[in-house]
Amino acid sequence: MGGQSAGTQPSGVETIQKLCDRVASSTLLEDRRDAVRALKSLSKKYRMEVGSQAMEHLVRILQSDRSDSEILGYALDTLYNIICNEEEEEQDDGQRRQEDDVGVQFADKFIQDQENVTLLLSLLEEFDFHVRWPGVKLLTALLKCQCAQVQGIILISPMGVSRLMDLLADSREVIRNDGLLLLQQLTKGNAAIQKIVAFENAFERLLDIITEEGTSDGGIVVEDCLLLLLNLLKNNSSNQNFFKEGSFIQRMKQWFQLGEESGGGWSAQKVTNLHLMLQLVRVMVSPVNSPGATASCQKSMFQCGLLQQLCTILMATGVPADILTETINTVSEVIRGSQVNQDYFASVNAPSNPPRPAIVVLLMSMVNERQPFVLRCAVLYCFQCFLYKNHKGQAEIVSTLLPSTIDAQSISAGQLLCGGLFSADSLSNWCASVALAHALHDNSNQKEQLLRVQLATSLGKPPISLLQQCTNILSQGSKVQTRVGLLMLLCTWISNCPIAVTHFLHNQENVPFLTAQISENLGEDERLVQGLCALLLGICIYYNDNSLENYTKEKLKQLIEKRIGKENFVEKLGFITKHELYSRAAQKPQPTFSTPEHMLFDHEFTKLVKELEGVITKAVHKSSEEEKKEEEVKKTLEQHDSIVTQYKELIREQDAQITELKEQVSALVCQKEQMDNTITQQQSQIQQHKDQYNILKLKLGKDGAVSQADVQVNGVQLEELTALRLELEELRTQHTLLQTQLTEKDTLINSLKAEAAQSAERPAPASENTELLKEVESLRVQVQSQQDEISQLQSERQELQRRTQTVSGSSSDGESAKLRELEKRLTTQTTETHRLQEELRTHSESRTQLEKELAAANSTVVILQTEKTKLQQEVGESKKEQDDLLMLLADQDQKILFLKQKLKDLGEPIEDEDDLDARDQSDEEDDDEEEEDDE
Amino acid sequence: MAYAYLFKYIIIGDTGVGKSCLLLQFTDKRFQPVHDLTIGVEFGARMITIDGKQIKLQIWDTAGQESFRSITRSYYRGAAGALLVYDITRRDTFNHLTTWLEDARQHSNSNMVIMLIGNKSDLESRREVKKEEGEAFAREHGLIFMETSAKTASNVEEAFINTAKEIYEKIQEGVFDINNEANGIKIGPQHAATNSTLSGGQGGQQAGGGCC
Repeated sequence: MGGQSAGTQPSGVETIQKLCDRVASSTLLEDRRDAVRALKSLSKKYRMEVGSQAMEHLVRILQSDRSDSEILGYALDTLYNIICNEEEEEQDDGQRRQEDDVGVQFADKFIQDQENVTLLLSLLEEFDFHVRWPGVKLLTALLKCQCAQVQGIILISPMGVSRLMDLLADSREVIRNDGLLLLQQLTKGNAAIQKIVAFENAFERLLDIITEEGTSDGGIVVEDCLLLLLNLLKNNSSNQNFFKEGSFIQRMKQWFQLGEESGGGWSAQKVTNLHLMLQLVRVMVSPVNSPGATASCQKSMFQCGLLQQLCTILMATGVPADILTETINTVSEVIRGSQVNQDYFASVNAPSNPPRPAIVVLLMSMVNERQPFVLRCAVLYCFQCFLYKNHKGQAEIVSTLLPSTIDAQSISAGQLLCGGLFSADSLSNWCASVALAHALHDNSNQKEQLLRVQLATSLGKPPISLLQQCTNILSQGSKVQTRVGLLMLLCTWISNCPIAVTHFLHNQENVPFLTAQISENLGEDERLVQGLCALLLGICIYYNDNSLENYTKEKLKQLIEKRIGKENFVEKLGFITKHELYSRAAQKPQPTFSTPEHMLFDHEFTKLVKELEGVITKAVHKSSEEEKKEEEVKKTLEQHDSIVTQYKELIREQDAQITELKEQVSALVCQKEQMDNTITQQQSQIQQHKDQYNILKLKLGKDGAVSQADVQVNGVQLEELTALRLELEELRTQHTLLQTQLTEKDTLINSLKAEAAQSAERPAPASENTELLKEVESLRVQVQSQQDEISQLQSERQELQRRTQTVSGSSSDGESAKLRELEKRLTTQTTETHRLQEELRTHSESRTQLEKELAAANSTVVILQTEKTKLQQEVGESKKEQDDLLMLLADQDQKILFLKQKLKDLGEPIEDEDDLDARDQSDEEDDDEEEEDDE
Repeated sequence: MAYAYLFKYIIIGDTGVGKSCLLLQFTDKRFQPVHDLTIGVEFGARMITIDGKQIKLQIWDTAGQESFRSITRSYYRGAAGALLVYDITRRDTFNHLTTWLEDARQHSNSNMVIMLIGNKSDLESRREVKKEEGEAFAREHGLIFMETSAKTASNVEEAFINTAKEIYEKIQEGVFDINNEANGIKIGPQHAATNSTLSGGQGGQQAGGGCC
């Protein structure tokens, strides 16, 4: 307590030190929280101290106490207080700057570690209001102090910008609104961030918010949205393209649907909002954008009715001058260089009685001294934009001055311009001159037309031409602004138009006036006029067609040399571009002047000067000798020209001949082509025939092959044959098996015989035994004969096989017959074997001792039997297949006959050709021979 | 100008593989042999028709240079489709595909359709990467694959449209949440209106917001 009374300053420092220690060392969250809260309350009063001592501790809190939103909130608030520069309190500039420096210094310290910004970004994901809100404010403050650096850190932190975009979706308005301010700072001058923000659907979100908030009637939130939109679109062609492609221009239209309002219904906020809305439209169609982009935006602005809406505001009553001016500027840029929009603008009428064209109404304001200066400039700009690249509009304006089309009843644009040209107000003079000059730019037709314009002067005197009147006023020595205006008009008028130059020179007073102006040594104010006079005289030389005796190029140059001096002339000419206001006007089309006195140069005129300065200087510097040389060159050129013409004639003749010959050639080529075509057709026909023959031949070949039962040609038959062979092979092996079994049986019987012999010694069954023996003997004979048969069969089969391989039509029949025979024999064999078995069985019954051995023999025979049955079946199958084969052969025989018939029908020559082909192919030789044999 | 759906695409891949030329060929139907390096990201748009429906494609063409990588990463999240481009005459651009793919998978939503594109197919004589290699890479990573030539316009149209078809099919299958704009898909104005009338009273509010 005592310390506090001794002096606040040291006490503050001490307290802060103590609090910092507590924040750093206390283990209790409550303690730390209280300390940070105390730091927060001191942070405004002792900003410097808290900032320098506590920042590290506060950052540590942000890192480690993530779970407690309250302490996070206090820490963020404290950081905000030390970094943010309060704008509320009014302070003198010196102190203010110092405070700003403090903020920047602390911001610097904070972002020195990039991690701190990343940490702050992650805290913004915290939904808790106590964290998010101060977080948003702190980041905004950081951006305000160290914009580029913080932008850089956010840009490279993953999803950094996207996360900040999420703030616009926050349901708590305070956060959304402060999010808008944050995004405003974030997008300042950083195209990369602007694009990401746009990519994250910013346009949609912002336009939605603007609509929700009541568009122009909305509060400062609408203004913030509009400022952010401006940030995103200004000088960012990619985003502008996205805005256009996203059909957002169409959504701008509703901004300008202003209800019928009473005169005083324009709040300051509404004026601000509308002003920004108009600026946004202008950003999209700015003359500095690429012409293609601007043109497509202009197109969609007309198509969606935005231009029409703006024109309604233009003609409405009770619109504040500020808004009206900006609307005129906006309309100007929406129509500039776009024929459709310019045509529409020309058709707009003011709701007056009788209705007057909007152009006329606007021009009335331009030449009206009482209208605000900026408004008059805006109208001039509008008029310029209306005539920019618009020959039709230029013709319409000039025609209102021509005798044939003049309408005395109503006020016309031309009348207003002439009125302005010769009024007492120098600003009107200047504006009208420039406006009229714009009706002549790049349009030599209208330059000539305007020469026809005659003005009625006071009664009794003859009418005077517009050109004459302009020079008259010029020579009367009026204000600089007036004379500059008129000189610019004259320069534009007679440049690139020799007839106008002749008209100008026809007035005897003009050239002496100009030379006098240029040669005189006048004050600073008059330098520009001198320069313009030099330019005008220069144009008279450069675009001179030498039709006036006294003022040919040569004579005018001599005049300059005598009266002014070449160097002097060029120096005076240079006064124009050296003027301080010249470069400003050259920058952009819109006439903007800080004061009415500065209204001297027109943008289009600066282009003309740039174009002419060089060529005029050259033209003046050229000596008469050089000119003569040039003339000589020209003459020789003309001679050359005549030679060239002769040659040209010759070439033309030859050309004609060539054309004739070419025609002949093409006719011949045509004929040749026709011939070629017929040849090709015939060739293809021949080819077709050949193909047909080949097909037939092929078929014939196949059939021939089958007719001989040569299975090689037919794959299927080949397979069948192979199968047959296999079966035969099997049969053979089975027979071998059978044979061996029979041999076994033989040995068995022999052993039985031996036993029988032994048993014969016993008396009782001896007779029976001998009988048995006999039977066995006979059986053996039978078996022997069977064996013989089998071997015969085998040999027969082998023969069959051989025959199948060599293959002949007739042999297949024989083979099948043999097979059938074979089959029969086999059947007899089997039956005989059966019998044998039965006999053996009866023997075994009577002879029980031999029973066992016989049973063994029996089982072997059973196996033999089944195998035989199998064999039999297989033979049956093979027989069937053989039958099928026979059938097939018969079929094919018929086919061959049929085909042969066909061939005969087709005639003999074909057969010959066929034979020729056949001889080439050795494979087919046999077949062909066969065919011949068949025939 | 009315569309049924709006899809956001990004084009990624090494510098000089022809990303900007592909976009220019698709949106303007022309080829620019000399193209400035893309700074950051550029935007292009075109309308196409799939299944009789008008679909608007908004395409962000990214800078391939390493220094812009952190900027271009910000575009992955909001895209429904990505064209991953390499140059068939430069093997290194093919070798870097894995890095690109990892980056894309890490920062995008999982349903993003990725189309692998081998560009400059007109330069057959200078080819360094076989078509089969591209196909194999695509198969391995579940991508659609095509070889294109921004110069001759071969397959350019198909590349953009096939990607859109894939997205469209995913929508039909209900894989994409079309109400979440962060997926890079938006329903057209009239469609939103019909949807909301179907879904009843609650949707009416959305339609009000979407129409204006």
